[in-house]
Amino acid sequence: MYGGGNVFEATKFDDLQAEDPVKLAEFEARIARGEKIEPNDWMPQLYRKQLIRMIEQHAHSEIIGALPEGAWITRAPGFRRKMAQMAKVQDEVGHAQLLYSAAETLGKSREQMLTDLINGKSKYSNVFNYPAYTWADSNIISWLIDAGAIVNQMANARGSYGPYSRALERICAEEAFHLKYGHDAVVHMATGSPKQREMIQAALNRWWPPIMTFFGPSDKMSTHTETLMRWKVKMASNDDCRQQFLDMYVPKIWELGLTVPDPNLQKNAETGEWEYTEPDWEEFKRVINGDGPCNAERLAVRRTAEERGAWVRKALLSPKAKYVKPLA
Amino acid sequence: MSLTSLDPRVTRLHLPDGEIPPMEQKPALDQFETYEVFHLKKEGAAYTYVGPVHAPNEEVGFLFAKEQYSRRFPCVGLWIIRTDHIQVTPYAGDGENIYEMIRAEEPGTRSEQAEPYEIFQLKKRGKAHVHAGRVTATSFQEALQEAKQAFGEKGPVVNVWIVKSGHVLQSGEEDRDMWLTVPDKKYREATAYKVMDKITKFKEEQRNTPA
Amino acid sequence: MNEQAIKDLLYKLADDELILGHRNSEWTGFGPILEEDIAFSSMAQDKIGHSLAFYTLLQELGESDPDTVAFTRNARQFHNSQLVELPNGEYDFSLIRHFLYDNAEIIRFEMLSQSNYEPIAKVATKLKGEVKYHVLHANTWIRNLGSSTEEAILRLQSSLNEALPYALGMFEVSTFEQELIDTGIYGGEEAVKAEWLQRVQAVLGKTKLKLPELNGITPKLGGRYGEHTAHLQPLLDEMSEVFNIDPTAEW
Repeated sequence: MYGGGNVFEATKFDDLQAEDPVKLAEFEARIARGEKIEPNDWMPQLYRKQLIRMIEQHAHSEIIGALPEGAWITRAPGFRRKMAQMAKVQDEVGHAQLLYSAAETLGKSREQMLTDLINGKSKYSNVFNYPAYTWADSNIISWLIDAGAIVNQMANARGSYGPYSRALERICAEEAFHLKYGHDAVVHMATGSPKQREMIQAALNRWWPPIMTFFGPSDKMSTHTETLMRWKVKMASNDDCRQQFLDMYVPKIWELGLTVPDPNLQKNAETGEWEYTEPDWEEFKRVINGDGPCNAERLAVRRTAEERGAWVRKALLSPKAKYVKPLA
Repeated sequence: MSLTSLDPRVTRLHLPDGEIPPMEQKPALDQFETYEVFHLKKEGAAYTYVGPVHAPNEEVGFLFAKEQYSRRFPCVGLWIIRTDHIQVTPYAGDGENIYEMIRAEEPGTRSEQAEPYEIFQLKKRGKAHVHAGRVTATSFQEALQEAKQAFGEKGPVVNVWIVKSGHVLQSGEEDRDMWLTVPDKKYREATAYKVMDKITKFKEEQRNTPA
Repeated sequence: MNEQAIKDLLYKLADDELILGHRNSEWTGFGPILEEDIAFSSMAQDKIGHSLAFYTLLQELGESDPDTVAFTRNARQFHNSQLVELPNGEYDFSLIRHFLYDNAEIIRFEMLSQSNYEPIAKVATKLKGEVKYHVLHANTWIRNLGSSTEEAILRLQSSLNEALPYALGMFEVSTFEQELIDTGIYGGEEAVKAEWLQRVQAVLGKTKLKLPELNGITPKLGGRYGEHTAHLQPLLDEMSEVFNIDPTAEW
């Protein structure tokens, strides 16, 4: 599960002038031909850096994203939901593993990425700093957050980096289940007893604002962004993703008789674009920088898992072990 | 004091409350070796690369690979190879043939007796390496030449992985029953969730209820 | 064939699997290594699946549907051994429990796949391969960790000492024991225990861990007859928290 957000701010050190112009031209020509870049290829520093950052954040979002729904694993009602909830959260952990592996091929070790996550040096999708108060919240996450993630991931799967594309292909195949499962659970709640309806509407009300920020603020178009789009690192604008999401899912929410808590939400018949109340980007920034309801807990849990598992890793680590990055 | 969470599991972890100092940098090698994993989707198919796992050794790598790469999709066999046992050729461009582009090199060392090597080929960038077959040679360089003769004619090959067969941990006949029930786990298949009937019924009821 | 005896057998099998599957599922997202997190969750899912298969057989014998049976009984009505209801503790305890439990489970499944009661035999035959992997997982971990660092060995040994009386409680005999043996439905707990000891010893023998002297240990009995530790009822309350908001609702 992953949204856009603050992934692509420019960094000052990325100077394309410093790159070998012949190699750079070959690299760009390869991407323009629609070929993928593989780990041992020459690549500009900016490409490597942005990809590591993007894939790493994506991986963090999966492992942290396992927590809000994980909160309901032990309470899922009935066998069908209990097993599916377990499998779904397990998949998120599996996706983290796949993505960390893809990022590793670019030269950053998994252990370093996990340390950076725990120390707050690298980010993850902001929505997971919000709590899942009830079972219904978990259902809304399973359905709509995963739906958002799929919009994003389908776009990124067409990107230029081979290992990331391969990982995303597998992830998208697995997430087809998440989306259906989440939808199924929400439909059961929305068409169920009055209490269930009330629960699911309340959860939608809580989650709508974070969902609207899921894809991040409108992109500031800069040469930097243009470069990343040309290199097929950034595949779609945040606004395009948000529009696509609204187009696909608002009708599905409405058909269940649920109310989206935004009086301004409507599709403009002329432009075909969705209009909505601008999300609170101030809050978004505040939360992403650490001041959200669950930031501290999320990282503390991750850290505890790392620290309490350290003896296991230490016990198994052979002194002869020689780490080399995965091949692809 | 410890943290009370909305997640009862977290509450039971008894996390410390308050300011926590940053975690220390790990020693350089708090990091397992990686193993590359190949799966066999069905009888008669070829082993195909699915991705790596981190593991302390081959046998634990097998346990990990089995769950990470074969829990969700049909599988009848797994191969596990330690990453640094695999020799990799340079990558050619799509449509090119790497076998034609690299010069035969003199091997640094040769084994006294010829031994089997497994050859994996990548047909197109972004796709996965697929097992092409086995050759017999006394060195990686010779194995590559053998592979060129045996498999190099059939269309473009972008990249080749070569590994001594003895370095491949292969699942056996007796392991097959571990995958028998994978297709039965419908609760993690998208197809198990069909709600159209419920939605249709709901909409009808809405229509028939005066507002 | 005595239906009471079969039901008793099914309940203890199903309840063990449900409660341990539930406990193991708590690790999802908290495991010591990402890959192990995934593996542990798969095994937890398998166990819940096994319990569902056994509850389904019970339903065919006239008991309530699996959801009702699993989500609405209280602790006194559960027949699981006390071993499976204990809190997870740290990973060493969960691993040792997994090792002790699954080495017994595989013997039960092997036996049951030969059962004269065909529905059980069918289920056991079908699911045996999953348990086989669980045992492979457990034994591999115990062999690797059990001869590694001093810390790991110390942790595992102390967890083993703690878990063993409860593990012996798994073999508490039922009121119908002799009948199940005589009718060829189930080989009985004594037989399972004897075989289990051999297998467990064989693995521990390859490590620096020692199985404590069994003579000095009083098995923790009672679980099969509804006597449980203080940990089970809170577990059940948590498990049914949402279900009980409206037990008649479809979730």
